[in-house]
Amino acid sequence: MKYRYLAFLLISLFLYYPINAQELFTLNGVVTDASSNETLIGVNLIIPEAKTGVVTNDYGYYSIKLPQGVYEIEITYLGYRSIIETVQLDTDKKLDFQLSEASENLEEVVITSDIEGLNIRKPEMSVNKLSISTIQKLPVVFGEVDVVKSLLLLPGVSNAGEGSSGFNVRGGAVDQNLILLDEATIYNSSHLFGLFSVFNPDAIKDLKLYKGGIPAKYGGRVSSVLDIYQRDGNSKEFKMHGGIGAISSRLLAEGPIVKDKGSFLVAGRSSYAHLFLKLTDNENSAYFYDLNTKLSYNLDDRNKLLLSGYFGRDVFNISQNFENTYGNAVLNLRWNHIFSDNIFTNLSVIYSDYYYGLNLNFVGFNWDSGIKNLNIKYDFNHYINDNLQLKYGIQNTYYEFNPGEIEPIDEDSGINYFKLNNKYAFENGIYISAEQKLSDKFSAEYGLRLSNFFRLGQDEINIYENNNPVEYDPERDIYREADILETLQSSRGDIIETFTNLEPRIAVSYALNDDQSFKASYNRMTQYLHLISNTSSPTPLDVWAPSGDFIKPQKLDQYAIGYFRNFRNNNYSLEVESFYKNIDNRIDYIDGANLIANNAIERVVLNGEARAYGLELLLRKNKGRFTGWLGYTLSRSEQRTPGRTSIEPGINNGDWYRTNYDKTHDLSMTGSYDLNKKWQLNANFIFQTGLATTYPTAQYDYEGITIPVYGERNGDRLPEYHRLDLSATYNPNIGKDRKFESYWNFGIYNVYNRQNAYSISFRENADTGQNEAVRLSLFGIIPSITYNFKF
Amino acid sequence: MKKIKFYIPFLALLILSSCEEVVQVDLEESEPRLVIEASIIWLKGTSGMEQRIILTETSPFYDEEVIPVENAQVKISSVNGEIFDFSYSQQGNYINTGFDPQLNEIYELEIIYNDQVYTATETLLPVVPIDYVEQTESGGFAGDEIEVKAYYTDPAETEDYYLFKFFNDDVSLEFYEDEFTNGNQIFGYYSDEDIEENDVIQIEIQGISKSYYDYLFILRSQVGSNDGGPFETMPATVKGNIVNRTNPDNYPLGYFRLSEADSTSYTVQ
Repeated sequence: MKYRYLAFLLISLFLYYPINAQELFTLNGVVTDASSNETLIGVNLIIPEAKTGVVTNDYGYYSIKLPQGVYEIEITYLGYRSIIETVQLDTDKKLDFQLSEASENLEEVVITSDIEGLNIRKPEMSVNKLSISTIQKLPVVFGEVDVVKSLLLLPGVSNAGEGSSGFNVRGGAVDQNLILLDEATIYNSSHLFGLFSVFNPDAIKDLKLYKGGIPAKYGGRVSSVLDIYQRDGNSKEFKMHGGIGAISSRLLAEGPIVKDKGSFLVAGRSSYAHLFLKLTDNENSAYFYDLNTKLSYNLDDRNKLLLSGYFGRDVFNISQNFENTYGNAVLNLRWNHIFSDNIFTNLSVIYSDYYYGLNLNFVGFNWDSGIKNLNIKYDFNHYINDNLQLKYGIQNTYYEFNPGEIEPIDEDSGINYFKLNNKYAFENGIYISAEQKLSDKFSAEYGLRLSNFFRLGQDEINIYENNNPVEYDPERDIYREADILETLQSSRGDIIETFTNLEPRIAVSYALNDDQSFKASYNRMTQYLHLISNTSSPTPLDVWAPSGDFIKPQKLDQYAIGYFRNFRNNNYSLEVESFYKNIDNRIDYIDGANLIANNAIERVVLNGEARAYGLELLLRKNKGRFTGWLGYTLSRSEQRTPGRTSIEPGINNGDWYRTNYDKTHDLSMTGSYDLNKKWQLNANFIFQTGLATTYPTAQYDYEGITIPVYGERNGDRLPEYHRLDLSATYNPNIGKDRKFESYWNFGIYNVYNRQNAYSISFRENADTGQNEAVRLSLFGIIPSITYNFKF
Repeated sequence: MKKIKFYIPFLALLILSSCEEVVQVDLEESEPRLVIEASIIWLKGTSGMEQRIILTETSPFYDEEVIPVENAQVKISSVNGEIFDFSYSQQGNYINTGFDPQLNEIYELEIIYNDQVYTATETLLPVVPIDYVEQTESGGFAGDEIEVKAYYTDPAETEDYYLFKFFNDDVSLEFYEDEFTNGNQIFGYYSDEDIEENDVIQIEIQGISKSYYDYLFILRSQVGSNDGGPFETMPATVKGNIVNRTNPDNYPLGYFRLSEADSTSYTVQ
């Protein structure tokens, strides 16, 4: 019923047009970088006379309707010189703009809005943008510029400790982040189990993280969207970039295929093979590599083709005994088409593949698992007038899950061939959303997404007594796998389960004046995929499972309110946000759940719920020689799984418990100071509450082994985490030979060598037989040097 | 009790600067709880008449002493009415010297302690013998340790679970199911950096039930939690098959099980 009301509301809003309609003309075009023709995302085009403006979309395109007249258009973009252009509008016009990078033409250091500025009037909230140039300055461990690690410095973003994979947004789990690289889903964002992320910073143009107020365009994950855009390549001249670091080296080549029309980009990155291993004999190796490619071609003014590819792998090889390979591969063909001056469309056909392979010679088998999907999206940006923009589209995804296949290495292996049943599913999304200026002070972005998920047939479907795959034994007070009564066959053409969900999204802003606003948002989202993982942080081996008969889709409701302010002439900005979110059907695992090579995962999981709430504060200094930000988050992230009936205890007695990434306080300060033209100094300071953990409260001997008895789940905390990082960037030949540019980055991670606890474990001392607590610290003080070049 | 820990060693290896240090951590203490180690083992070729059951209490985590339970009444009865009383000897050990093991027979354990009655029921499960023992030099995570493999032939017609005990200086428990090895000749294996030439390793194979296998699986994950860090599972309460009939909330730890066993010893070459 409430949906019908909402639909009515939406329709009536769409039908609202200014009554005193003058004749309007459309101004549209693309904003690009002057030196490379790279399209620029999120450029502000402001028309002060008309008190209006527009922002370029993900493909650098803008369109705006204005009455006849002569206008001055201010075009501003972070890191670029602002320009003001005068336009006489007496007919529909296509006008492209080119911007030059600020640093290139400046004799003295005057950085204008180097940091991502804040848009007071847009209803968009809970969104963080980081430009690659900001990310490249941050001090990082081993000097490896890292997209995901940089995000951790923002409020609301954390992880389960150094060296854990992925990231957590507003108390959500790692698998609840939708990570898109050129619109293609990336299933595992980590190299080396989480030490580095899979994104080569050289190949990336821009990124945006949505923590809340997520637009209707996105769906399929409940916590956040990390939208990463690869660069298109330089269509003006051939360029090479590269870098040599302590861990990896990078090389990128880009250039025109047809000058000013088409470009290519190829970027490769590889770590050094044996570098990490303390075991120095040559039988062992551990390395990663990735390859980013892009082709882009402007067919004409209205049509553009883009072909993006990514291929990355991690390889571990331990003395022929153990070999492990995993990684993502994506391929995406896109077609940008402008239907009329105010309708921009993009059609994407995307193939995405995550592979995990293990070769255990000493046990005698190979293991393969993975997930593949084929995705077709058609998205429309429809610029109705200068007060209303519509976005609508349709998305279809076909999934094939391979939970695992065990193959004996040879005939003597003793291991039998075994194939876990492949699973198949089909996901649809259809959405419409509007960004509307309701009055001078009020703006809103609202939309609706309708999502469907069809679980398709598979070779074996298990039938359980009372349709209950997890059995509770009241006498022993434990859960265990129920017996399989019978196994049915069904074909891939059958639909065995259907889910349909309506996902309303709304964000509103109320501007008190030009510098201050209040914003609020609500979004509901549904996630049909689950990462099956019962470790504190996911491992590459974890498999994805679709919703079905027993595992239900995760459903999120998130509410956020915020106060936003620019002050001191936009030198500073302040964002304060508070959020609450609740996720239904967050799965949890029964004690002793074996997830590896389990063909009936439903027998070890129970549906529970998760919730998180918090307060975020972000104070930025955007301009001047000193820039930086202070981010602080006060939050709580919990989950619980009550019993299904009154006699069942559930998991952890059905009580709420803190998630592994719950951090009460999370403070990060980062600053950058331009000493002179050649030297730039950077620093980070981080302070966090220690991660939640569980300590033993007693012990006993059983079968000759000492067994600990644990206390309340995640009821204890590791010691506080803090560290200071410094780095300096040296640009020796600035202003000299423009053909060849290079810079050095010198860094020190964890300057005061704090031994932060990665874990505190308990063991029996081999000599004394006494139990003791042992703290493992991963990163002490780590100096690094990186050399980068461009020509 | 070891397991193949893929991830933690990796991270520790990967990071040259990683550092381990013994630290002082104050721990809360939980109420003492009864621990029952009732493992009735019938070694092939023996009468199996001598059996013992060990009763202790949990102790504070840093304590070295094991707290024995002395004043309990312990007995096992078989379905055909035989009753075997276990009498206290020392250190929490209760002994019976006239036990009569029968394969696939159901037995019941009853313990009365502090006016509370604890019971459990289990079947004595058979096991296949150890066929032979083999040694390789490529064991362990890095492939540079001596590895001892004890081969056995899994019966194809049954679903079987095995517990291996390797006694060197310490005992190492390894347990297996036959899901991926049904009907094959396969091995239980043990490797350790401390294995040296001329070490004599005692190897025992025991037949166990699925529910005891599940119990060991959880037990091992608790010991595995010693590693800590992002790739460990959540701690759990390890509940066995012994139930406190008087006050179910005051559940005991440990397990009652009966297993046939085969044993051999191997001298490392």
